[in-house]
Amino acid sequence: MAASGGSTTSNTNIPEYEYSDVNTKPFHIGGFRSEWLSRLTPDDYSYQPEEEDTFDANFAKEHGVSAETMAELKSVCSIDSLRCHPEDEQPDPEVVPPNPTLQTLIERKKKQDYKASRKITKNRHDLYANELERLTYGMKPEAVDDILPEGEVILTVNVYYPASYDKFNYVRPHMTLLMTGSHSLAEFRDAICCVSDLQVCGEFSNTPNIAPDFISKDHYKSAFFYFEGVFYNDMRYPECQDISMTTIEWAKSHNFPSYSQAKMEDTRFMDLNVKVGFPYLYCHQGDCEHLVIITDVRLTHKNDCLDKELYPLLTHKHRVATQKCSVCHIFIGRWFTTNDEFAPSHPCLFCDKCFRTLHYNEDGYKLGDFLAYPYVDRGAFN
Amino acid sequence: MIRSKRGETDPYRKQLKSDCESLLGRFQKTESVRFQVFSEIWRESNFTHIFYGAVKHEKRAFSRRVLDLAYSYFLPPLTFQIRVGGLYLLYSLYRSQTASPPEQIRVALKDWDEVKKFEKDAADAQHLDAVYILRQLRFLKAFHFTAMPTLLAYKKKRKTEKSDLSEEFVERASRPQELINGDLLEELSNIHELYEKMKTSVSLPSEKSVNMIHRSFVPQLRGSVLDFHKWQQNKDETDQDEDCGEGTSSQQECSNRAGLIASIKSKAYGEAAEASKSRRHRQVEVDPTSNESGPSNAPGRSRKTKPSFKARTKEKYLFSGDQLKASSSTTMISHLTSLDPVAAEKVKYFKRFPSK
Repeated sequence: MAASGGSTTSNTNIPEYEYSDVNTKPFHIGGFRSEWLSRLTPDDYSYQPEEEDTFDANFAKEHGVSAETMAELKSVCSIDSLRCHPEDEQPDPEVVPPNPTLQTLIERKKKQDYKASRKITKNRHDLYANELERLTYGMKPEAVDDILPEGEVILTVNVYYPASYDKFNYVRPHMTLLMTGSHSLAEFRDAICCVSDLQVCGEFSNTPNIAPDFISKDHYKSAFFYFEGVFYNDMRYPECQDISMTTIEWAKSHNFPSYSQAKMEDTRFMDLNVKVGFPYLYCHQGDCEHLVIITDVRLTHKNDCLDKELYPLLTHKHRVATQKCSVCHIFIGRWFTTNDEFAPSHPCLFCDKCFRTLHYNEDGYKLGDFLAYPYVDRGAFN
Repeated sequence: MIRSKRGETDPYRKQLKSDCESLLGRFQKTESVRFQVFSEIWRESNFTHIFYGAVKHEKRAFSRRVLDLAYSYFLPPLTFQIRVGGLYLLYSLYRSQTASPPEQIRVALKDWDEVKKFEKDAADAQHLDAVYILRQLRFLKAFHFTAMPTLLAYKKKRKTEKSDLSEEFVERASRPQELINGDLLEELSNIHELYEKMKTSVSLPSEKSVNMIHRSFVPQLRGSVLDFHKWQQNKDETDQDEDCGEGTSSQQECSNRAGLIASIKSKAYGEAAEASKSRRHRQVEVDPTSNESGPSNAPGRSRKTKPSFKARTKEKYLFSGDQLKASSSTTMISHLTSLDPVAAEKVKYFKRFPSK
């Protein structure tokens, strides 16, 4: 009793709930990995299937079972014993069987009937979800070097969109990325796509062609992650600043617990001390703040996408409605204009093509009087 | 992750739970831990069909849900038999799911030691089918070795749900019995005796400090543990068969200490101290008749939900005739203004008050 109690307190890398079903206590991800590896045999997390015969032989030897009993055991425990239909007929697993008795099936039937009674038959989002799944499950790399090492950890990270727009309607828009333990936070940063990185500031009605050269991402490269009392700053480029300093100093002057700093590019997920399920922060462009939640940490499995090159792997992406061009109503808006004599409204949104054909002549000269600002739709990453 | 617009995170949870629990309940009634028995119940209730009708990406989400649920039946504090049932359920669900490649069973690091212990218990008790199936799952690489049993996204619940585990599956607390067993009592009484002797040999017989010792400490301790055990049994089994047991135990309150200890050992918690964990589900319930009625009656005793506020009000204030009609009819906007004079005056008064 006392011994086991002592070992759990000393061993903090076994994740435990801090609040049940909400988040865990902090633990070290590398330590967590070695805890698992120490408990398992290499066969448990190997990608190669074990030979069935050796498995049977080992089992029989270990438990002193004769070949006869072993055969009986195998037949009793085979999947055939779970079959719920005669051998010669194969029911269609895509439809709810007639006269279901299970509660779940009754409920599913009810839902499907309701869905069928409505006019909407196809959901584009279902289609996307399927597609994304097909792209990610069980991908094997072409080159042997690119295979994910056995016993590596995979983290599932949700990056939430800033809550500055949209009323809260039970959906928290986010993207889900799969990262490996050997990824650095800088690689994680690069995988996060946020429209505020693409914004272009300024008025470009006279020189529409050079607008794409002024993306915020290239101008303001500073960013930080915040995990468990440490600010991880992006310091890869000379123009990067430590933008966490302001917060740290403010906290110091207000008697908050002190925070420390580290470099994003030098920190791997493996080195992090985190709580699973707990909201942390990613801040870039000065004030574009995303919540970051590590929802899961686990060892790799042979059915995972094993191509190292495909990580960070996107597994979920919230899709937002896009604003269309007010002329063609087909393409997503790229420009918005003010004081525009051609426009039906003020301000007005145009796609690139409509904008150019309406506001410039064939030689690219500006026609009329207007101000034009590049516009990046927040659904640009859909 | 996949949620509908109305904020349902888990659309089939309630139904799934009742399905799984009725399956496990039937398994529990058989008092067996054989896979053969389990698979028979599985086939009878057409449980494979639970995956049917889920299409496309629903398949994976549904598999995830049902495996997560089944996993919770595989862990303590449930009885060994239910945990075996949980293991079989996991295996059967894993093998019959329609998602391809199959969705894995998530096992958390903190639970792994329990799984190993379970395997050892089952092996010690020669429950080969349970061990084989657990091994088979590892062989099939059916496990994801994870930090936590579910994905956590900081979803705080507005209202705390009552415990998910259904009561009749939970193993009875046996810590008091384990702690205060016959050996301990014997030891205690020996020490007690020794102490008394020493004390009397050292001090004068008239000294008061000797009387400070509780003479009846050991019997009292035994009595309270017995009471606890009885209370537990009474709670669990509605049968009155227990009375005879109580009768004998109370009769034995004699002064003979040796007999007393012997009775404790043999009767009250012999099972708790001696039976290995894995076999306890068979031994705890000694009487077959009480067995049948006990667990099967239990679902009826599950906690009742409070009636709605409206219902409670109705019940409390019994309206008669017109009053009932008036009260049950919906409030109309136009009626809000036509108050009876006294109430109206009051309202006016209150309205004026803050402006002063």
